[in-house]
Amino acid sequence: MASVTYLLSEFRDKDAVASAIHSLRAAGLGTGDLDVFSEEPIEFRRGVLDRPSHMSLVSVLGAIVVGSVATLFVWWAQNNYAVVTGGMPVYSFWGTGVITYEMTMLGAVLATFGYFLWESGLLRKRDKTKPVPIVPPECICLRVRCTGDDVARPTALLRSAGATSVEKRASL
Amino acid sequence: MFATQKQPELLPYGKIREDLFRPLSGMTRKYFAAILIPLLIILFGAYAWTVQLRFGMGVTGLQRPVFWGFYIVDFVFWIGISHAGTLISAILRLTDAGWRKPITRAAEAITLFALMIGGLFPIIHLGRAWYFYWLIPYPNMRLLWPNFRSPLLWDLTAILTYVTGSAIYLYLPLIPDMAQLAQHNVPWRRKLYHALSLGWTGSDTEWHALERAMKLMAGIILAVAISVHTVVAWDFAMAIAPMWHSTIFGPYFVVGAIFSGLAGLMIVMAAIRKFMGLEQYLTRHHFDNLAKLLLLMSILWLYFTLAEHLTVWYGNDPADMAVFGARTRTRFAFLFWLMVGVNFVVPFVLLGIRKLRGITTGVIASFGILLGMFLERYIIVVPTLSVTRLPAASSNFYSPSWVELAITAATFAGMIVLYLLFSKLFPIIAVWEFKPHPHEDEI
Amino acid sequence: MAIDLDRCTGCEACVAACHAENNISISTPEQAAEGRTTHWIRVDRYYEGAFPDVKVKYMPVLCQQCDEAPCEPVCPTYATYHNPEGLNVQVYNRCVGTFYCANNCPYTVRYFNWFDPVWPEPLQLQHNPDVAVRMAGVMEKCTFCIQRIRRGKDEAQTAGQPVADGDIQPACVQSCPAEAMVFGDLNDPESKVSRMAESSRATRLLEDLGTKPKVFYLERGR
Repeated sequence: MASVTYLLSEFRDKDAVASAIHSLRAAGLGTGDLDVFSEEPIEFRRGVLDRPSHMSLVSVLGAIVVGSVATLFVWWAQNNYAVVTGGMPVYSFWGTGVITYEMTMLGAVLATFGYFLWESGLLRKRDKTKPVPIVPPECICLRVRCTGDDVARPTALLRSAGATSVEKRASL
Repeated sequence: MFATQKQPELLPYGKIREDLFRPLSGMTRKYFAAILIPLLIILFGAYAWTVQLRFGMGVTGLQRPVFWGFYIVDFVFWIGISHAGTLISAILRLTDAGWRKPITRAAEAITLFALMIGGLFPIIHLGRAWYFYWLIPYPNMRLLWPNFRSPLLWDLTAILTYVTGSAIYLYLPLIPDMAQLAQHNVPWRRKLYHALSLGWTGSDTEWHALERAMKLMAGIILAVAISVHTVVAWDFAMAIAPMWHSTIFGPYFVVGAIFSGLAGLMIVMAAIRKFMGLEQYLTRHHFDNLAKLLLLMSILWLYFTLAEHLTVWYGNDPADMAVFGARTRTRFAFLFWLMVGVNFVVPFVLLGIRKLRGITTGVIASFGILLGMFLERYIIVVPTLSVTRLPAASSNFYSPSWVELAITAATFAGMIVLYLLFSKLFPIIAVWEFKPHPHEDEI
Repeated sequence: MAIDLDRCTGCEACVAACHAENNISISTPEQAAEGRTTHWIRVDRYYEGAFPDVKVKYMPVLCQQCDEAPCEPVCPTYATYHNPEGLNVQVYNRCVGTFYCANNCPYTVRYFNWFDPVWPEPLQLQHNPDVAVRMAGVMEKCTFCIQRIRRGKDEAQTAGQPVADGDIQPACVQSCPAEAMVFGDLNDPESKVSRMAESSRATRLLEDLGTKPKVFYLERGR
């Protein structure tokens, strides 16, 4: 099995990072091999380092599921303990519509938060073999995963893009 | 004088972090006093509640037919204050207004604490408060369920959703800051921050997920906030009592909530600015914008109040007019016109006239607005109940007893304590959000 | 129920009888001044004209047992609901004390137990064993003497006979010296209360609210 090495590089500005990513991807590395670390969110142009996400879909699905379950529960409970009050029907969609709405929203909230925890990787089993760089202030770090011993080419690409430092680390 | 000072966003990152993290350590005597006095008030309020639980609701000033009084006024008031955060965070985030950045976390904190406090009142006002959990649908030995058609059950779900949403909405942008603070020198803090940061490393995957989640949450929380105060308004509007059964109540209460929330926010911002030394971050510009928003809400509030009262007066329905007269001409007239003065006239003068608009006048106007909005809730709740449809059943004048006043005071004290604790544990301005991405593209 | 206002003298015997029958607590003058008396049936007085041409109208007001009662849908715990007999029943054990029902009642006929009830000695010995004594924090109101309705139906069933008109009388109806109050089955077109309800003098309180109250007030000049 080929050994895995990581290159931790530091940059001072975002365009340099973008051009580094560009050249590394041209050299054959995929988005799964590249990670950018920073102290605030970095916005790259489209196509540089896209991370597709299903969060909106999950949010909507969560909303629909929880909302439907809650409405069905209300319908069932109202019929299970059917009591006449003031001439209103035993189950009234409009009389309990607010509950449907609020539970739908709650579903969206919980689904969004839950999926965020999953998609960000915060609540997944961490891959302890990947080294995490400590980002100095005002810097952006780019971590490159190289398989095999060919570290020279990526290092050169990083330096030519403008990295202020490149460090080699074996996988932990 | 201010022209030469650097814009706060352009200060070096290290300095920003230092400024915003500094208030977290150490405790001054002023802080200690500021927490101790409210704690004593809370203790007294808690004692008052035990008296009420022991002897019965008779210790309040409530009487037939005024069955809802100060507690319900408090409830609506605090849920209203909670709209501070939602407006600033969600709406301004959705419209990408940059000036909101230093304010968002402080506003979201107000929202969460106001909700927690407001959510106590549906329990406090109950005649048999120890059975409050009967409103929750849980399988029980009597094989019964609560009545979902009741607006009080709608309240329950709405507030539950809003509290959950607000807590998550407050927590999400806190995660990166927690990671920053995880290197704190105090060991228990280090553990706390590390746990709360969930192992955040700052990778782009994490940032993307966070930003997406926050964008979604902003939209969701806005929808929830509007529905919550509408549902609270519907506690009144669904009843057939005169001058409660009005279609305007939903929007009216939402506008009033945003109005009172903004006033509360302005006061909190001024306090933070002064006591945490954040003059560079919360500038006149922010207060100016807040003041303009407050003025807008004041005019909107006046519009709704006018619309409500004009239609009642013109329609001349006897039952409605009896309440209308009580509100504007007889028993409650002083409070009513004081409310109009403090909610519209004073802000119009202090915030509308540009020469007068400033931080101090803004705070004065905001205190007035808080009083005015409290009065508005009182004027909505009590006169309708006092003037019954069958005139012979109308009541003597309701006035709150010491128990109600103590508990009300305790909630204000509670807000102060919660906020003081929050500001000691977490940076009141989101550091990463605040620095406007010096690497940002101009797309 | 039908109440003939032309016969009512405002003597309040119905009020006293209701107190005795339903274990309603006694209020002190201070409590009365605070608006905290409990009278499941109360006699409202309306004055017309000025001295010396004053006219007084008496109107006994009790729970109207509305068919579409506004107090029922708003109770979160079903402490008040419509039973199959057509009564608006109050379940003391289920009441959490949200006060919503009382706020929604347009007739203001709901009463709350502000404290645990007290009776000056020796009135607590006079309690009716058929009726619960309510604790602080619970809402209560006229039940049309549901304990008497139950007993009447039980006795009729034991005897194998249907309930005859006039067999069951709530305490107020029974005690009225002017016989102004009549109680019966509105579903039976031959009963006295049905015939009174159809009288040209009959009206109902706040009818335009759509609550469908079941108490008919008979008054001359309608």
